Amino acid sequence: MNKLNRTYVMGIVFLLLSAFVVWQTGMVPERLVSNEPGPRFFPYMSAAGMTVFAILSMIFDGPKDKGNQYLDKAGWKRLILILVEGLLFCVMMQYIGFWFAAMIGIVMFVLTLKGDKKVNMVTVIVLAVVLGSVCYFGFTRGFHIPLPSGSLWKALGIKML
Amino acid sequence: MAAYLTAFAEIFEPLNFLMMIVCVVVGGILGAIPGLSGGLGITLILPLTFALDTNLSFIMLVAMYVGGVSGSFIAAVLLGIPGSAASIGTCYDGYPMTKKGKAGKALSIGIFGSLIGNLGGGIVAIACTKYIADLALLLGPWEYFSLCLMAITMVIGLSNGSIYKGLLAAFFGFFLSTIGADMVTNQLRFTFGNTNLYGGINVVVLLMGTFAVQQVATSYAKGQTDMPPVDAEGLSGFGLKAKDFTDNMQTIVVSLLIGLFIGFLPGMGSGISNLIAYGQAKNMSKHPELFGTGYDPGIWATEVSNNAGVGGALIPMISLGIPGDATTVLLLSGMTIHGLQAGPMFIKTNPDMAALILLTLLISAIAIALIELGTKKWFPLLLKTPFHYLFGAILVISFMGAFSSTTSMFSVYLVLGFGVLGIMMDYFKMPATPLMLSFILGSKIESYFRMGVSYAKGDYTSFITRPISLIFLVIAIGSVVVPPVMKALKNKKAAKAAQ
Repeated sequence: MNKLNRTYVMGIVFLLLSAFVVWQTGMVPERLVSNEPGPRFFPYMSAAGMTVFAILSMIFDGPKDKGNQYLDKAGWKRLILILVEGLLFCVMMQYIGFWFAAMIGIVMFVLTLKGDKKVNMVTVIVLAVVLGSVCYFGFTRGFHIPLPSGSLWKALGIKML
Repeated sequence: MAAYLTAFAEIFEPLNFLMMIVCVVVGGILGAIPGLSGGLGITLILPLTFALDTNLSFIMLVAMYVGGVSGSFIAAVLLGIPGSAASIGTCYDGYPMTKKGKAGKALSIGIFGSLIGNLGGGIVAIACTKYIADLALLLGPWEYFSLCLMAITMVIGLSNGSIYKGLLAAFFGFFLSTIGADMVTNQLRFTFGNTNLYGGINVVVLLMGTFAVQQVATSYAKGQTDMPPVDAEGLSGFGLKAKDFTDNMQTIVVSLLIGLFIGFLPGMGSGISNLIAYGQAKNMSKHPELFGTGYDPGIWATEVSNNAGVGGALIPMISLGIPGDATTVLLLSGMTIHGLQAGPMFIKTNPDMAALILLTLLISAIAIALIELGTKKWFPLLLKTPFHYLFGAILVISFMGAFSSTTSMFSVYLVLGFGVLGIMMDYFKMPATPLMLSFILGSKIESYFRMGVSYAKGDYTSFITRPISLIFLVIAIGSVVVPPVMKALKNKKAAKAAQ
């Protein structure tokens, strides 16, 4: 990863994306309403713009890109870890509901983000329970905004609060 | 004048005044929490107003609106995460200033910027509502299209890095805005059979992903384990000197005018005006290189303009019955609930109500500024919270904010996806602002363009044959062409001088 020219990588990613957009746009049925450009026009324009500026960026910015390191190996590992935990939190939110997911998620995130620092587990658990509960009940009862109650409980026939 | 005296007396009725303070504070808190907004507060209290007196209802609704926009700078300054789209630009200099230990000064600029924006916008709204609204009626889809395009290109001009990467980000934002059902023919685009995408991508979802998740993940990956230190300077009292105002007077005045102008255009709002004002402040500055490093004018520009947009948005709402932004749509609903008909006759038939709305804007702005000044010293307590507690909670709240905006689990996964996108953009050194702005404006640009072509019976030249539209287009092209040309000339001159 150290010597990779990020501008060239970006250019290739966006050129591929533009090609995909053009291909997908061609599949949109063209039902023209009188005298107007139709639903394909703007996606085509977006793809054209991405293509042009991806190429221009590769030509003019590419040579200036020194391939500096973005993250070291440990940094990449940390990045992947926090994203995987984010995904795990989303899955928990869907299946066991926001209330439990928030409590478990806060503990999980705090223990990861602390790095080498020491934390008091009692404080972490109290924070998780209080914040998770305040958010869940504040939203669902106070603001009447629904939050996920968990599809697992529904499947098991358990009625959550 | 009599209408304003009556409105003044009405606002200072004990119950009305108390509810105004409560709503302005609640609005401020909602605005400060990433993913929530004053609009949410208005939505929540709107059903309550069925049972309330009309005057009290509008005092509460307008106070909530003012509080929501005013409070949104707090998270932007302290955490680098915008409370709402209205304070995206505030992150660029507010958070770097906090990182330098000057959170107190950044907060003071936010408070006074909001106050000046609200007061300036409110006073102009009181004085010129009728005349400004007439001007808005002169503009058609051609001018709106060109104006939106100009807004984006001006913001690309503020990209610190490559202008090509800025334009690439803008076109990518356009593409994201086309996802969902086409607004004219209702054809589905890029939905892949997923019903969650039929309505397009929600702006809160994109904001939470590209700002909140990206911020937490990259900070942790780069080894950050501590929050920025907080300097006690500027945390008590006003936190600013007279020189801070006089030095930034030009930025303040221009940003006020930009905020008002963008605010009174239907469909535009503070989410757009703050970025345009930031771009303009950078273009006008003698030190554009200092923007993004914790530079005062960057915060003044965004906070004055987004709050001026409140007064601006009320102008077409009151005088034309056209909402200036998403929140004024809710205020219009409130008017309908109470049997009031906004439009050209509103000021004549309901002078007391028009005066009450505009005066509540001014008094709420002063109230929230005083409350924020009085409690400012406690805001940075947030930064004393250990990194792992604060950012852990932010992650959970961001996912919750995305769900509450759409009530869809798909949006929660999408936040994570946009978090990855934000990280990729950081990796590629692509600016996020053009992406956000073109995403917000993308559907409007497409809609105005297609309306313009359709109204002109398929004539694409109508965009350049209408003088106002042409002016906007010339500025749009100039704002992306002139900076690199000037830079090249400067480099050539420097190279010549070196020889």
